[in-house]
Amino acid sequence: MASEDEEFTMLFQDFYPSLCRFLECLLGGRAPLAQDLAQESFLQLHRTAWGTMPVGEARFWLYRVARNMAINEFRKSNTRYRLFDRVVEVMRPRARTPEQEYETQERNAMVLEMLQTLPEDQRTALLLREQEQLSYREIGQVLNVSESKVKVDIFRARAALRERWNKVSGVSRVAGVGNS
Amino acid sequence: MNCSFTEKISSLIDGELSTAEAREVERHMPGCNDCQQLRADFLSLRSQIAGFETSLQPEVQNRALKKILGTERPGPARGLRWSFGAPAVAFATLVIAAAIVGLLLYQSSNKTQRDSQGIASVNQTPSPAQSGSGPQSKQQQQPEASPEPSREQPTQNKNNDETPRRQPSAPKRPIVREPKPGEQFAAVPGPVRSADAQTLTAMHFEKSETLLLAFRNVRLNEPGTATEVGYERKRAQQLVYQNMMLRREADTSGDVQISSLLESLEPILIDIANLPEHPDEDAVRVIRERVERKNIVPLLRVNSTALARALD
Repeated sequence: MASEDEEFTMLFQDFYPSLCRFLECLLGGRAPLAQDLAQESFLQLHRTAWGTMPVGEARFWLYRVARNMAINEFRKSNTRYRLFDRVVEVMRPRARTPEQEYETQERNAMVLEMLQTLPEDQRTALLLREQEQLSYREIGQVLNVSESKVKVDIFRARAALRERWNKVSGVSRVAGVGNS
Repeated sequence: MNCSFTEKISSLIDGELSTAEAREVERHMPGCNDCQQLRADFLSLRSQIAGFETSLQPEVQNRALKKILGTERPGPARGLRWSFGAPAVAFATLVIAAAIVGLLLYQSSNKTQRDSQGIASVNQTPSPAQSGSGPQSKQQQQPEASPEPSREQPTQNKNNDETPRRQPSAPKRPIVREPKPGEQFAAVPGPVRSADAQTLTAMHFEKSETLLLAFRNVRLNEPGTATEVGYERKRAQQLVYQNMMLRREADTSGDVQISSLLESLEPILIDIANLPEHPDEDAVRVIRERVERKNIVPLLRVNSTALARALD
């Protein structure tokens, strides 16, 4: 039991922050709610599936459960948490300079806004790809869809975001990236 | 945009194309401005999304872990409860019944022996050793039946939230961890390095990331086909020399972070470059595991993002 809990702690430390980030992007920036759902996902894992599941599977299981919880949240009121989240955001301790903090917030807000324009399945697939670096096969495993659907969803998501991004910024930003 | 390669560009940057397809797209790209622009835009979007910073505080994380480990787990795991089949239950019942019958027979046929056993057990009950070691022995048994030892860990963390979070995992998995949000911008080099060097490094990181993703997705275990890594090998050979050059440049400029990342990357590139045309699965797997263990793909991504932003 001791080593089981130790392993669980390792898994938690490795993936809790990523899961929070994934949920925050999926939910459109509701950080406290994202953290609660991430905690709830881990709690379910610990109570029901931990010990009967290979550790390698646990990560996919967590993302699957977390995503389902997020979908349930979409169905609930969208406004309930907004004010509370805003207050938490304002009260959050700041380690950087105000300029850096402002820049980060602006960038985060823009990313969230763009992501919210995508259908949920495309958004989830893209987040799992770009943030969690899962392969198409692994994303298919999490979302219970085929690899080819994942491929198409990710391409469509990128194409839609690109179009929107170009509209918003007016020019295509290439952020110091060269062509091979 | 009418080019027929657009969808493949998306798969290319994810390292999800087969070797032949990747070659085809790479041959096509230099002559197609649309595809070059698309690739650059997709990579830029990736930087934006991957660079999203969550507002998670360490104390929130520690509190969550403490709460989860402090919650009672329901008895034995569900899988275990149902894993006893009917033959196992029948066998256990038979053993118990045999033990009871044996005990009854034993008691009726050998009364004297039973009495002496009774005396012995009575003598054992008030033993002074037991009263002293009772709670201690209970404590020794507890760790196996309850999650106490793991609960101690978060309690220690409470006193010092920053440092000991990785303690339990340190001996087993040294680095496998997503870089923290704060670290992402720590990688931005100071103004000592030239813009050219930064641009080259950012490009190098992106190319290496794409290569490692492609290498990760090389199909193993496909019946009737040998693993083919010709494309990855060739790319690695090209990148090794650039890696050496950029590492020396970063060393000279005193950019320790970039230099150490390039230093971690170098042996991996060399290993891929030195693979035979059709390597055995184990050789590929070993390199993949090393890439995973060193957490090199996210680090490349984060650093290329940070460098690109610094150039903006």
